[in-house]
Amino acid sequence: MWQTLRERGLSYLIVGPFAIVLAFPFYWMLVTAFKTNGDLYNLDNVPFTYHPAEAALGEKLPFRQQHWLPLGFEHATPSHVSFIFNDTNYTRWIENTAVVGGLVVLITLLLAVPAGYSLARLSGRWGQNVGVGIFLTYLVPPTLLFLPLSRVISKLGLQDRLWSLVLVYPSFTIPFATWLLMGFFRTIPLELEDAALIDGCSRLKALARVIFPISIPGILTVVIFSFSLCVNEFVYAITFISGTKQHTISAGVPTDLIRGDVYFWQSLMAATLIPSIPLALLYNSFLNRFIAGFTGGAFR
Amino acid sequence: MAAVAGARKQSRRFRDLLEDRRFLAPALISPAVIFIVLLVGAPLVLSVYLSMTDATAGQLTGKFVWFHNFVDSWHNDNFRRALRNTIVFTLASQAIVLVGAGLLAHALVRPFRGRWILRFLILLPWAAPVAVSTIGFLWIFDSQFSVVNWTLVHDIMPGGGHFYLYRPVNWILGGIDHLPWIHTGKIDRLNPPQWLGQPTLAIVAIILVQAWRILPFATVIFIAGLSSIPNEVDDAAKVDGATGLRKFWHVTLPLQLPIATVALLFGIVFTATDMTVVYILTSGGPFNSTHVLTTWAYQTGIVSSNLGEGAAISLYLLPVLLVVSVLMLRFARRVEVS
Amino acid sequence: MAENDDGLEELGLSQSLTRRQVIRRGLGGFLIVYGGALPKAAAAASPKFRRQQYKNTLKIIQWSHFVPAYDVWFDKTYTKNWGDKHDTDVQVDHIALAQLPARAQAEVAAQGGHDIFGHLSPQAGLEDQVINHKEIIQEVTHKVGKISELGFHSCYNPKTKKWHGFPDNYVPDPIHFRKDLWKQVGVKPSTWEDVRKAAPKLKALGHPVGLGMSNELDSNMLLIALMQCYGAFIQDKNARVAINSKHTIEALKVMRDIFKSGMTNEVFAWTAASNNQGYLSGRLALAVNAISIARTAEDSNPTLAKNTGIAPIPRGPVQRLGLEHVMGVYTVWKFTKNKTLAKRFIADLEINYQGAFKNSKYYNFPAFKGAVHNYKKQLLSDTHTPKGKYGVLDLIANKYTTNLGYPGFSNAAIDEIFNTWLIPQMFAEVAQGKMTPAEAAKAAEHDAKRIFAKWRSRGKI
Repeated sequence: MWQTLRERGLSYLIVGPFAIVLAFPFYWMLVTAFKTNGDLYNLDNVPFTYHPAEAALGEKLPFRQQHWLPLGFEHATPSHVSFIFNDTNYTRWIENTAVVGGLVVLITLLLAVPAGYSLARLSGRWGQNVGVGIFLTYLVPPTLLFLPLSRVISKLGLQDRLWSLVLVYPSFTIPFATWLLMGFFRTIPLELEDAALIDGCSRLKALARVIFPISIPGILTVVIFSFSLCVNEFVYAITFISGTKQHTISAGVPTDLIRGDVYFWQSLMAATLIPSIPLALLYNSFLNRFIAGFTGGAFR
Repeated sequence: MAAVAGARKQSRRFRDLLEDRRFLAPALISPAVIFIVLLVGAPLVLSVYLSMTDATAGQLTGKFVWFHNFVDSWHNDNFRRALRNTIVFTLASQAIVLVGAGLLAHALVRPFRGRWILRFLILLPWAAPVAVSTIGFLWIFDSQFSVVNWTLVHDIMPGGGHFYLYRPVNWILGGIDHLPWIHTGKIDRLNPPQWLGQPTLAIVAIILVQAWRILPFATVIFIAGLSSIPNEVDDAAKVDGATGLRKFWHVTLPLQLPIATVALLFGIVFTATDMTVVYILTSGGPFNSTHVLTTWAYQTGIVSSNLGEGAAISLYLLPVLLVVSVLMLRFARRVEVS
Repeated sequence: MAENDDGLEELGLSQSLTRRQVIRRGLGGFLIVYGGALPKAAAAASPKFRRQQYKNTLKIIQWSHFVPAYDVWFDKTYTKNWGDKHDTDVQVDHIALAQLPARAQAEVAAQGGHDIFGHLSPQAGLEDQVINHKEIIQEVTHKVGKISELGFHSCYNPKTKKWHGFPDNYVPDPIHFRKDLWKQVGVKPSTWEDVRKAAPKLKALGHPVGLGMSNELDSNMLLIALMQCYGAFIQDKNARVAINSKHTIEALKVMRDIFKSGMTNEVFAWTAASNNQGYLSGRLALAVNAISIARTAEDSNPTLAKNTGIAPIPRGPVQRLGLEHVMGVYTVWKFTKNKTLAKRFIADLEINYQGAFKNSKYYNFPAFKGAVHNYKKQLLSDTHTPKGKYGVLDLIANKYTTNLGYPGFSNAAIDEIFNTWLIPQMFAEVAQGKMTPAEAAKAAEHDAKRIFAKWRSRGKI
């Protein structure tokens, strides 16, 4: 009993501080998002609570809180948060990011699943090396490619359209996904497939009916990874799309919430929180499945 | 009759073709390969071509200068510093990530109350789009309104007492000052540290932000590795009497090595090829002291319009990463097999 | 796989079964909400069909103006009216300041993009990619009179005899100072010597001066203007590097003094917003910035606004001469198919600049002086207290504003020196004691000469 108690205590002791350090910026962003301008730009105010905006120059604040909890809500304002929803195309950006992410994940799966499967099963020794080679193309940084790709995008008439991103993003999700899935498919025992083949299925049918359901964890892994790569991408999103309605979050937030030499800090903080929380919830819920997917594939 | 038989034979031949390994394998791989060749390979070739010309300002053609750009870059102080920074930032942040993720994963594998919530908090840095969360850090490290500085410099004892955080921190810094090579100085209340304005501090800030955003991701990979250790191995270790530190050193660590290598590899790739964090936080920093290869290539190629040179600088990154990746993948496979 | 399921159970999955159901439903809702976005975004991604079908399309890209009202006026009123008159659908996109160069180069690489590109500084480096804007200049000159010296020296290349951009507007760069605080120390910021003397006194009051030495726009402009006041220039009027002079050394010394006695390390880590924020928080006693500070103060802190004075740049021993804060330059790419329409638009905007002048809250001044009438009267009519404080902008614009690269022309080398922060770095290294003023001037000369040689070899200087 003491051992489990000690183990548990140790768990809290380790995880607790990490969770605090990692999540603290987000807590602070949450508090900052609702601060009034007068409160935010006052150097003496505690950053973690709300204060009245200074009424007149030189007047001392009527009270100074030495708390660390966000108190004083009567001095907080939701105007900066509503600003991003009413005066910018923020909801559009979220939609765009979701759509691009979804489509790219689809394309990635369509191309990487067969490739990964074939490299794992059907190509033997040199398949391993081709798989690694495909992964290595992931290492080419977008800062190198974005100019030549601009020409391609323009020739295809996709400039300033979301389709340009849908076309280009798989170029870094597919190498990654293929390599991952290749490793994962390798761990599925051959007997399962052979059994299906003996039963009279063609190879394609075996792939669809037997392999696919078992590889759901691996596929989920690829889905989450690819989606997170798309959401984080910045260089292409900024370069290929200039219309504010077609921006993704990564491109739209720096463009519209930073005007010349004025930074809308509170809105920027809110803009960071709003997509992060659902995404973290999503990843967390799928974590168990994700782990199973990764275990199968990573290093074989 | 003959026509039908002929048609049936044709369809069977087609189906046989699909069964044939030699046809099916390339057929399944080729869409992915074609995609990559078109969208990565072709621009890459164009970039290699550009790096050997004197192209400027977006023009995709130029006069051939062969390896002049590569040699020129090498002689530039800023380039060498960028190369050094790339290596330093990557290794330092990934060292932090490795240690942190290893610890965290061990603690998170066992179920306990509140684990779901704590895991959610730990995943947040990875879930946030990197461009936007880095802007958040820009405000956290702001030259005037930094919350870090505020906490260090102000009286943070609630109520009547007084407690200034910078005093104990200065005490520690004073102790560190006695070590050779390291000169830290002290925190001045009236002149608080400029996290993005002093070269050393800026480097520290960048390393911390990179570690912060990669840590959740590495933790998840480590958890995967730990939970893949078959129960039999665990039980065998227990039977053998190996517990605690012994078990960790002789059983867990070797088994985790392959997945640790993979986590490290991903972390290295994400950090070394990343431009966003450095660009947003310091844009290359005070006196070009925090440039990494990607941002220096951007500065040279786009801002200064030396496209050819910018391409050459970016290309320096490639062979390094290639070698590192191949070595690590080989290592991982070898360790795992044994 | 059986053993994985056991593993999952061990991970506490069984207890979360009901939780999983809740999460599944939540995620289902999430997917429905976002899934509904799919047709919407697909529709948005496809070409838009306006209710009215126009014959032509004109695409413009420019920065997100600091005064949001200007963008609203420009996007929704001005371009619509102009478009209706010319049967054109005018589409305006906005972009952040920092992304202008990347975007411009991407459009060149792509050989496709917007018809009119609005930069915030002369883009001599892009000379080969744009048309010769001579016709627009001539048209506007014909209608409203000659272009200002500032405009001429910004966008004309005397070597190639080409107008590499159309200077649409510029923003004067006054100083903002706290009248109450400067009264307390008994000095007015009329010369740099005054500033130097007052700096330690103001710092003692807890309200230092705010003169940045960081890699950002405000610092760049301020420091080059300071140099000019001391008779130091980056180039002479024949585009020869002139930065290593005793005037530069004197300017470096002054700034070092001001820093040592009156400022803290924060000025090396500023962003373009920092001096705004520092002044608006009530802390800084002096800031050199366009009127964005005054305008923001009017909205958020009227008492501060009342105590804010606007004045020209302090006088140096040689002269009183400042720079434009930014200059709005429109360029038309060579590859665009809408050249005539683009030229017409740019010309019309300048000829009728009154609307832009007013809607930018007097931030934008036209590069052609004759495009607006009664500057003084309009500026003085601004109702914010103290009334008439914007009147001095007229004086600053007429007498104390010059182009980047004065006394020569703005060329590609000056551009690159500006974009790679050579001047702030030089000042910062001296202020931090890393180099002596003589060393720093010499190092800057070395770098500048390299850049000038490069562009000279390309035939642009």
